[in-house]
Amino acid sequence: MSVKALYDYEFPSMDRAKLFGEDLLVYVHWEGNPIFCSAVCFRVPKTMPFGEFVTSFVVPWAESDPDFDHEAMKHWRIFDELLDVADNKSLADLGIGHKALLTFAG
Amino acid sequence: MSIESPRAAAWKKLPLKERYALLTRDLDWEPSYIDREQLYPFTRYEGIKVHDWDGWQDPFRLTVDAYCKYQAEKDRRLYAVLDGFAQGQGHLTLSDASYLNSIKLFIQGVTPLEYAAHRHFAFLARHLEGPGPRFAALCQSIDELRHTQTQIHTISNYNKYYSGFHSWSKMHDRVWYLAIPKSFFDDAMSAGPFEFLIAISFSFEYLLTNLLFVPFMSGASFNGDTPTMSFGFSAQSDESRHMTLGLEAIKFLLEQDEDNVPIIQDWVDKWFWRAYRLSGLVAAMMDYMLPKPVMSWKEAFELYFEDQMLGGLFPDLDFYGIRPPRHVDDAIAEKEHLSHQVYKILHNFSSVAAFTTKTPDHVHLDWLSEQYPGTFDIYYRPTWEKHQRIEAGGGRMFVRGLPQQCQVCQLAISFTEQDDRRKISFRRSEFRGETFHTCSDGCKWIFDREPEKYVQAWLPVHQILKGDCGGPAIPDVLAWYGIQTGDNGEYNGSPDEQFWRAWHDPSLRHGE
Repeated sequence: MSVKALYDYEFPSMDRAKLFGEDLLVYVHWEGNPIFCSAVCFRVPKTMPFGEFVTSFVVPWAESDPDFDHEAMKHWRIFDELLDVADNKSLADLGIGHKALLTFAG
Repeated sequence: MSIESPRAAAWKKLPLKERYALLTRDLDWEPSYIDREQLYPFTRYEGIKVHDWDGWQDPFRLTVDAYCKYQAEKDRRLYAVLDGFAQGQGHLTLSDASYLNSIKLFIQGVTPLEYAAHRHFAFLARHLEGPGPRFAALCQSIDELRHTQTQIHTISNYNKYYSGFHSWSKMHDRVWYLAIPKSFFDDAMSAGPFEFLIAISFSFEYLLTNLLFVPFMSGASFNGDTPTMSFGFSAQSDESRHMTLGLEAIKFLLEQDEDNVPIIQDWVDKWFWRAYRLSGLVAAMMDYMLPKPVMSWKEAFELYFEDQMLGGLFPDLDFYGIRPPRHVDDAIAEKEHLSHQVYKILHNFSSVAAFTTKTPDHVHLDWLSEQYPGTFDIYYRPTWEKHQRIEAGGGRMFVRGLPQQCQVCQLAISFTEQDDRRKISFRRSEFRGETFHTCSDGCKWIFDREPEKYVQAWLPVHQILKGDCGGPAIPDVLAWYGIQTGDNGEYNGSPDEQFWRAWHDPSLRHGE
């Protein structure tokens, strides 16, 4: 089913990948930690290595919880699939696309 | 002795029904130099069939002169209360300054919806084909404008003494949590006139009004806010007229043609879930933001929705072939969780809101444990106790980052799975090669039904990350939101809390 309208109803998506240029929107969810109400949303360069993404984006956010332990981060997943992370591989190389949802356990 | 003209004498003798007919429906005319389709271009494309617009019943039989007389009288009474409260420093008799956070949410989130309703009912007053519904829409349009004005006047008194009341109109258009009510109403206003009637008149004003609007008025009455309570009384007779319009609208459309039934059912399904998700903010307010709570969200939901609507209204609508809304069972299953999950969002992010939050103290936690005996101690109390520990050590946990939002309801994706209440329910759809995230089966269903519409959603978090909200850093965004220091953050230690204590404890006043 689609929108009923008096004219051709055709509009571009507000947050399409193109508008973010060389960057991506990426969501990160700390599974099983209810002190965070939800996953977080970052804008990051596609070419950023995963290790740098974790230290410069994910860790400062996760440190909002004083019990956060960087060493304990494990079991990375992208949507429902396992994500075989490597610190030196870029987000694009790991197959992380626009508006992907990453999950880890801590 | 006065002499009445024969016309005036005859006029007086007219029975109400005839007088009403002359002053409303009989003023209508058939177009002669253009056809009806040109005069009323919006009443066909939604697929709704109306055969007899005169089948619309007006239970109130109001005329413009009578309407104005009643409203003027109500305004006089309301403004007398407002003056008395202001002159007697009534704000000092509130239960606590933290109560006003719920009123900040109200003026930022609800008052602009009244204005939006005023605009759109004016549109319906022009574009519905029958004079009966046009007149009903006209009265409601004027009501909504009056509500906007009386709410502004009622609440403006608090702006003299408390933070967060100053830029609500701008905030409504810009701030993340206000995108929840704004996007709800924008969704309705950008639909056709019949869908708007089912969305606003039926789902919002009839089905869920006791969970969306009334709790603010009851909260006011329990917490010493006489002006807001008086505003509520002043709006009560209007609201009952609006509820009747909502019920009349759905019955009229269902009676006109059998083909209307599946279309209406679809709208009831969609707008129940939209309004229910919006009610999450009210749930959080009821359980967490009232120093003197009225009743828990769960109790209100059972009484006003399960008993009155599912038990009373829907058996009546069954006669027309309308069944209870799709996903209603998900809402019922969530009644022990909704308020806690939504308040967690507000508590995590009040650093960037125009109200303050606080961690519930032990007395409050005990009340919540009592109200939610099967779930609160298992799922929510431990997290609040962790917040208490953090705060006992001098900290206050706010999330340093921006939340993932639902493409439809625009709440943070914070709800959990029915079979595992610790697991966030992530739903996603692919449309034109792009991923869209939703918070529930209800919101995903709404997205998948009209993806072309929801891909245009103005999601506050994505907009900030695009750089379209004043700049890249949080202080830029707060400035663009119109949020000033002291509006946001933690309640304890906030200007509102400090002033309140000083006003009630002369020893804390400086220079006296």
